[in-house]
Formats: sequence, structure tokens, C-alpha cells
Amino acid sequence: MQLALELKRVRKTFGTTVAVEGMDLAVPRGALYGVIGPNGAGKTTCIRMIMSILFPDSGELSVLGQRSALEAKDRIGYLPEERGVYRKMKVGAFLTYMAQLKGLAGEDAASRVPRLLQEVGLPGVESKRCEDLSKGMLQRVQFLGAIIHQPDLLILDEPFSGQDPVSVRVLRDQILKEHRRGATVLLSTHVMANAEEMCQHVVMIHQGRKVLDEAMSGLRRQFDPRTIHFEPLEANANPSSLSGMTGVERVESVDGTYRISLMPGTDPGVVMARLATAVAPARIELARLRLEDVFVRIVSEGEHSDAVSQALRASVTAPGPEGALA
Amino acid sequence: MKQSVRRIGLVAGREFLAAVMNKGFVIGLLLMPAIIALLVVVFPRLMNRNVPPVRGEVAVIDPTGQVATGLRAALAPDAIAARRRDSATRALQNAPEVVRDAATSTPAMDRAIGTPPQLTILERQANADLQREKQWLTEPVAADGLRHLALIVLQPDAVVAAAGSAKYGSYELFIPQNIDDRLETELYDAVRESLVAARIRTHNLNRTEVEAVMNVRRAASVTVAVGEERRTNVAFNRFLPFVFAGLLVFGIMIGGQTLLTQTVEEKSNRVIEVLLSAVSPVELMAGKILGQMAVSMLVLAVYIGIGLFALMSFAMIGLLNPLLILYLVMFFLISYLLFAAVFSAVGAAVNEMREAQSLMTPVMLVLMAPWMFATVIGREPNSTFAVALSFIPPVNTFAMMIRLGSATPPPTWQVLLTMLVGLAAACVVTWFAAKIFKVGLLMHGKPPNMSTLIRWARAA
Repeated sequence: MQLALELKRVRKTFGTTVAVEGMDLAVPRGALYGVIGPNGAGKTTCIRMIMSILFPDSGELSVLGQRSALEAKDRIGYLPEERGVYRKMKVGAFLTYMAQLKGLAGEDAASRVPRLLQEVGLPGVESKRCEDLSKGMLQRVQFLGAIIHQPDLLILDEPFSGQDPVSVRVLRDQILKEHRRGATVLLSTHVMANAEEMCQHVVMIHQGRKVLDEAMSGLRRQFDPRTIHFEPLEANANPSSLSGMTGVERVESVDGTYRISLMPGTDPGVVMARLATAVAPARIELARLRLEDVFVRIVSEGEHSDAVSQALRASVTAPGPEGALA
Repeated sequence: MKQSVRRIGLVAGREFLAAVMNKGFVIGLLLMPAIIALLVVVFPRLMNRNVPPVRGEVAVIDPTGQVATGLRAALAPDAIAARRRDSATRALQNAPEVVRDAATSTPAMDRAIGTPPQLTILERQANADLQREKQWLTEPVAADGLRHLALIVLQPDAVVAAAGSAKYGSYELFIPQNIDDRLETELYDAVRESLVAARIRTHNLNRTEVEAVMNVRRAASVTVAVGEERRTNVAFNRFLPFVFAGLLVFGIMIGGQTLLTQTVEEKSNRVIEVLLSAVSPVELMAGKILGQMAVSMLVLAVYIGIGLFALMSFAMIGLLNPLLILYLVMFFLISYLLFAAVFSAVGAAVNEMREAQSLMTPVMLVLMAPWMFATVIGREPNSTFAVALSFIPPVNTFAMMIRLGSATPPPTWQVLLTMLVGLAAACVVTWFAAKIFKVGLLMHGKPPNMSTLIRWARAA
């Protein structure tokens, strides 16, 4: 398996603070990886080390087969978390400049600009100054700056940060398009629902250490939530019989909807069929895996109290400045 | 390597175009010549037009009885105008012909002479009470009356020396508050002329002969160099070192200041990390320094061009050694590299312009040093002080440029050694600054002090 990215025992400190410790990571070419974790977990430091903007204190790094991203800069697209533009520069000139810095010839770069702007819903803005665009429009332009040279590796640090739902949708489509084109995509986010929807593989970082490195399919199997959401068709239905059903461990009622927890080893399909027979359902579904639950469970195991778990859950679910996926 | 050079070129090109392609730059570029033109051409005209003629009374106590009449004539407006004309003509005696012709043309001379004061002379009794006359100076005057401007008291031995003495007496001058000091000069000139005339008359001498005997015309020297001779121009020689030092500082300030503000702006608007994904910090710094260097060179080229055009227009181009322009360019490049590296490192280290001030203070002081030393070095270009300063970076390039512009330029080996020392210093400073630039670009928060910068440089 050819790797686009490989980190071995990477460590980075800032003074007495350990930002990243013992980080191992192997991203195959063509993969779509999500790096998740709460704010301050070490995601951006990892990405900056991958980009050779920061350098590790120890450990080894390989990017697109090179010992440093500096040797493969033109094949990498990067959207940093803290991103800006030259405010007085025209959009077309800015994108052309970024493409030229990435090795494209001036004419080639300029010819790609109108098509790309069209694709992200900003036709005809190339002659406008960057300062004349709204924040959402500007973020789409910044994203184009990262992909205009069709990179082999696309690294996006909190790409959905501060985006409105329309922009999030546009960006998500573009990221998936780049992935389909064959680019390896590594994106970081602290809102785990984003990674849940898009990524094939997730890496969780907590306090500078990797706490999970798993394919989404494997995660779903490994962290089966064993919970069924059930909403009766009739508002006055009496589902008291549900708690006595074989395989059901616990039933909780919230606003007319029931959360039914199953005993370990119980086949959810069998229980769902029985439920539908017992009480006419308006909605019956198996609860989706939520990365935040997985994350909280992992970091809480054996070392955190319930209060700490609650705080962790809040830190990974609260969108803060980031919008949820549309 | 090829890609790296390409990226540096792209950054430099953007920096250059961003600085040059805006109205502010064009206005700034034309502002300096416009200010000079204003000072040289318009300002004197306005000054002369707006100065109302001095009008008032001058009281004279003349115990000799031989001066007052002559003094009255010497203080007549026509006589004052004639003296001013003579003085202006003497000042221009050694100026190039074109300048002399232009300056002595009637309108130009009229402007230089201005409107002579209108003075009414009041002769007092020889035994007048001095205290009372002094009080006269402070007496209030009616709105439409003449001001009491001065009291001249001639000494009794002013025309005929006292017995047994070879020295003549002179005069005393009393004036009220707030009198233009130029009036004192006019009064001195008039008293001197009338006293000399009275003394010559008393001694029965021929004034024309005396003046002819006293007159020795100062020669306009000719500077002789290998293969050429040119007329020495003292004013030009005095002025030139300042011009060269000024151009050096000005060129550095233009590029350096823009470098500082743009780096701070790139850092504060977060475009820096986007750039760092495409170029290395060293490439970015090199590109920015080169781009702004091109801006400074453009500005210097425009100003040097204007200067050369002015010299040609006044037929003074022969006074300038063309090699000096080459030296100016070379010393500019060396000094610029050193200072630009410092400016960019400071820009990368701080979060906003306000924070840059404390770090920039020592740099600005060094840049101001040439102004402090220019007169001393220009007057004694080969003194120990001037020679020593020529080898102490970062002021060595300025010191050498001032020496080169002086009337007695330094030996070639000293010029070459200054370049070598300057280049070595520029390389060391750039190396150090690049380390700070590298670390500082992504640092936010508390502004760094000098010890933090040194720690960053060690860490990089």
C-alpha cells in the first residue's frame, strides 16, 4: 500500500507544554481521513508539522514519499485554520498568484479561475477585490486557492469553520469531488458530525495523543450503540409492553419518542420487527453511531469522572463558530 | 533550486506591483520633488510678497557731527536696495554661469532684494539725555503713527581716534522688543558705510583708491584630477554629502517601512500561513526584500534622474563624478539588505504596528546617525573619526558615502573595505533575521522583547 502520509513517533513541545506526543499515522494514497478532537487537542500542530511549517522535536515524517512537505509543496493543497487573503488584491489575481506559487504557469493558472469560481457558485467575481466579498464567499475563494493546482494531497484544517449551511454544502461537494479525482484528503475538525458524514477513516486526538485510528465501517461495528429510536403512530398508544420484550434492557421516553437500549448480543433487527408488530410505528430506526459518543467513551474509560465526560461531550458537540453540515 | 528562485521571483513581483500600482505610491513619489519645488520656487516668492515693508523712525545721537547726514543717505530705500544687490551679486560670484545669469536677472534680483525698509531718521542733540531717548523706544505709538525702531548713539571717537590711540570708537544701538534682526544688519551696514566715509573725509583720503587697495577678488578654484579639470563649487561640495546620505536613508526607509507594514498586515490578516503552504519562510522573506528593494530602486532612480536633469539644466553636470552614482547604488544595496532584514524580522515578530515601535526605536536611531555625523565627516572626510566610522556597521556605508561626496574622497582600498565589511554585516544580520522571521510568523500573543527574539533565533 502506497502511503501519502506517514508519521512515526512524532513529538512536538512548546516550552514545557507537550503539544503532540508519540504520534503514529499512516494515510494511504487516495484515502479521505478525518482528524478529530476537541479544540487544543493538537490537530493543527500535527498538520503544521506535516506541512513543514513547524518541525517535530523527534520522530519521522514522510509526505508523498518525500522526507518533508517542502520537497513536495507543489503537490499539496493546504487550507489552514487561520486563513486570510490579500484584501486589496482582486480575486482572480489572488487565485492566479496562489496557483503560480504552486508551480502552474501564469496562463494556465488564470484560465482555471473562472471555471472554479463557477463551480463554487461565485461566477464573475474574479475582477472584484477580495475585501468586497462576504466572509462566506471569501472562504470559498480560499478553498479554491488550495485546490486550483489539483494537488495529490489536500490538507484542510477546520474547513467548515465559520461557514453558513450553503457554503458548507458547496465545500463538502468540492472536497468529495477532489477525493473522487484521486486526491488524498486529510481534514481536521472539532465538530465530529462533519467527519462522521464524510470520512472513510477517522483519527482521534486528545491532549496531543492519538486515541483512535479506525475506519468508519470498523467503528460502526466496534461501537455498535445498541439503541433503537421508536415513535408510535398513535399519540395515545400504550407502549408499556416494550420494556418487557426479550432482549430489551431499558426504555426511556423523551417527548413521545422512546429510546430502547438492547442487551448485549441482541439482534436489533429481531427486536425492531417485534416492536413494529406490538405497536404501530410512525418511525423506527437504529441509532446512528456518533463519534462524539465514541470519543467520550474512549477518553473517559478509567480516567475521567462523569462530570469530565459531560465537559468533553460539550467540547466536541458545541458547534461554536463552526456550522453543522447541511 | 530553480523552483525556489521562481517562487522568490513571484513573491518579489507581487510585492513590487502591490506597492507600485496604487495612487498612494505615485503621489508619494511626486511629493518629495513637489515639496522641494515648493521650497525653492514658490515659497520665496510668497515670502517676499507677503512681507510688508518695515516703516518707522530711527533716532541718532551724533556727538561727532559728521556721521548723521551720511547715515540718513545710507538708510534711504534706494541705498539699502543697492547694498542688497551688491551683496547678492557677491554671493553668486562663484556660482555657475547659468545659475548666476538666472539669479541676477531683474525679476529674480528684485525678488531677492524685496522691499527695502522705509526709515525716517530723527537727529537728536549731541548732548541729548540718553535715558530719555531710551524711553522714547518704549513709548506707545498711535495706530497710524511710525514705530520707534532704534536709537543709534555714535561714540565721540568714532570718526577721529582718541589721542594716543590707533583704534576708533564705534556706536551703540538700542532697540525695542520684537524687532526684526535683519533691521540690525541694515543699520550696521549703513552706520559702517557712513562712518568709513566720514573717516576717509577727515583723513583727506581718496575713497576709490582705498577701496581699490583693499579689494582682492576671491578666485574660483579649479579642481584638478587625473585627466580632467573642473571648476570647484564650494556650495555643491558642501551640499553633496548630505544629498547622498539623504538618498541612502530615504531609499532604505521607503522599502523598509513598507516591508514592515506589509509583513505585519500579512500576519494580522492570516494570509501568512496560506503563503507558507506554498513557499518556505526564507523564500518568502527573500522575495519580500527583493520586491521592496525594486520599489526603493525605482524611487531612487526617479530622484537621481530629477537631480541629474537639474544639474544638466544649470550646466553643473560636470561637477558630479559619475562614479559616485555607482557607489551610491552599491552602498544602497548593502545597507538596504541589512536594514530590510531587520525590518522584516520585526514585522514577523509583532502582531500589530503599535507593538513594532519599541523594537524599531534603535533601528531608527541608527538610521538617523548619518545626519548627526554628516557635517563632521563632510568637513573632515579623512579624520580618524570618519575613517573609523567607515568600518563600523551598520553606519559604515553612510559614513563612506558622505566621504565619497566630499571634496577630498577617500582612497579606493578604504571604499572596498567598507563594502566588504558592510556585506559581511548584512549577511550576518540577514541570517539572524531569517531565523526570527521563521519563528515569528506564526507567533501570536504577547509582543516579544529583545531576549525573546534571541531565544527564537536560537530555537530556529
